[in-house]
Amino acid sequence: MAPFEKAQHPKPFKQRKSFAATRKHEVAGIRTKFPTKVPVIIERYQREKYLPLLDKTKFLVPQELTMTQFVTIIRNRMTLMPSQAFYLLINNAGIASMSLTMAQVYKDHKDEDGFLYMTYASQEMFGHWERVHQLSR
Amino acid sequence: MDAGKAPTLTYDTLRFGEFEDFPETSEPVWVLGKQSNALTEKDEILSDITSRLWFTYRKNFQAIGGTGPMSDTGWGCMLRCGQMILAEALLRRHLGREWRWVRGQQPKEEYMSILNAFIDRKDSYYSIHQIAQMGVGEGKSIGQWYGPNTVAQVLKKLAVFDTWSRLAVHVAMDNTVIIEEIKRLCMPWLDFERGGCADPLEMNGYMEGACAMALEDTAVWKPLVLLIPLRLGLSDINEAYIETLKQCFMMPQSLGVIGGKPNSAHYFIGFVGEELIYLDPHTTQPAVEPFENGEIQDDSYHCQHPPCRMHICELDPSIAVGHREHGAYPRVHWAQGGQGIGHDPGQGASPSQGTITYTLSHPSIYYGHFRRANLPTMHVFVVPKYPEETPAARGEHANSAHTGP
Repeated sequence: MAPFEKAQHPKPFKQRKSFAATRKHEVAGIRTKFPTKVPVIIERYQREKYLPLLDKTKFLVPQELTMTQFVTIIRNRMTLMPSQAFYLLINNAGIASMSLTMAQVYKDHKDEDGFLYMTYASQEMFGHWERVHQLSR
Repeated sequence: MDAGKAPTLTYDTLRFGEFEDFPETSEPVWVLGKQSNALTEKDEILSDITSRLWFTYRKNFQAIGGTGPMSDTGWGCMLRCGQMILAEALLRRHLGREWRWVRGQQPKEEYMSILNAFIDRKDSYYSIHQIAQMGVGEGKSIGQWYGPNTVAQVLKKLAVFDTWSRLAVHVAMDNTVIIEEIKRLCMPWLDFERGGCADPLEMNGYMEGACAMALEDTAVWKPLVLLIPLRLGLSDINEAYIETLKQCFMMPQSLGVIGGKPNSAHYFIGFVGEELIYLDPHTTQPAVEPFENGEIQDDSYHCQHPPCRMHICELDPSIAVGHREHGAYPRVHWAQGGQGIGHDPGQGASPSQGTITYTLSHPSIYYGHFRRANLPTMHVFVVPKYPEETPAARGEHANSAHTGP
């Protein structure tokens, strides 16, 4: 559980493939070939210090999989301890209901380019030198 | 890590006069499941908040592990918040929600036992020493910063040794409350393999049996402390969660929330308007040595200035929400629901907009998204409106049952 070096952060997927048209084209190809699978982009939160990088960014996920199952797969891939915090945030915004299927999440949250974007993060740690005395708001 | 280098401000040098007074507002004030009016009940609100155990940085305690730090200034704030939320669970378990601390008054025996469990000595159940050392198993060396989940995991392990309170501390991972895990923890005498809970009606019948058994031997049912670590956004809290978060403080089962502003951990106990009310551990006080007769000078364990407040949007998204369930009346009802539970404000809305995955509704808690086998089933965990053991708490229950969100 040693903290990972910050230098490891690759550029976000959207920056690496900056043309929306290219990504759209890619999704169209995947969807034709695998109509029952959901194309997902999973990236590590840029300021994440504790969780490892996944070896892959793009995932094709069976659409009937629940979020719970999906999270379990990702957790296993990272060989996390069950007590380690792991959160998968959709569109950098919120945590999905764990009982939803990937198809449902995809339907509601897919990007314009056709990918479903998820970011993973653990929890922040807290510690601070003493409060220099300040007024509470 | 070296506390000696820190410019320390002592308890005495703090000018409490600078703490902003509690706001005069007609908006309801919610503190740990209790609603009050700031205009007419200000003294009661302040007395209630002062009664909570307040744990802060301390200095000059026994070195942790014999040779480690003698102060937790700069690193112990989340550990202190963990102590505060657990202390609240113990106060509620042994003294009830209506108990009040009165300065200088001869304290109850239970109160002294609770306080003793947190004194900065290596052999107290939940001392900074125990928490810091148990954290090593969670990958945190002594003096390292903790997150809400870290301290929750450590408290879960430490509670096992507390044979006096016999709390069942459960930490719900992956924003999912798994009812079966809780049942295993609180009702270890149940045979979970038999039948499972495939059928809700069968489950209800099953539970009736459990109740009968438990009433004969209530000592078996353990009081539950449920801690749910969450991340409600990446760098900032997603505003869609704010109303749901407020509801956490409105439930009679609420133990508050541990979290903070970036870097600084706080123990949030309630809210008024758009402001969270919290106890702040960021004050270094000298460690307190109990007297030879076991009594403790306890003034410094209660926050006697008006409580701190901050805008809810300043909250760091990494938190852990605490609830407690009283164990003596295990009359929980089990029912199965689909994803369209009417009481759930987030259902039907997009999952990232407003649902804290497990969803809370007042006065019942609906812990959705039950995880079992491969089925995306959802079991509803309804907390009954049965009174708690103490007469005072009973009144509170009855009141709160009628104040919907």
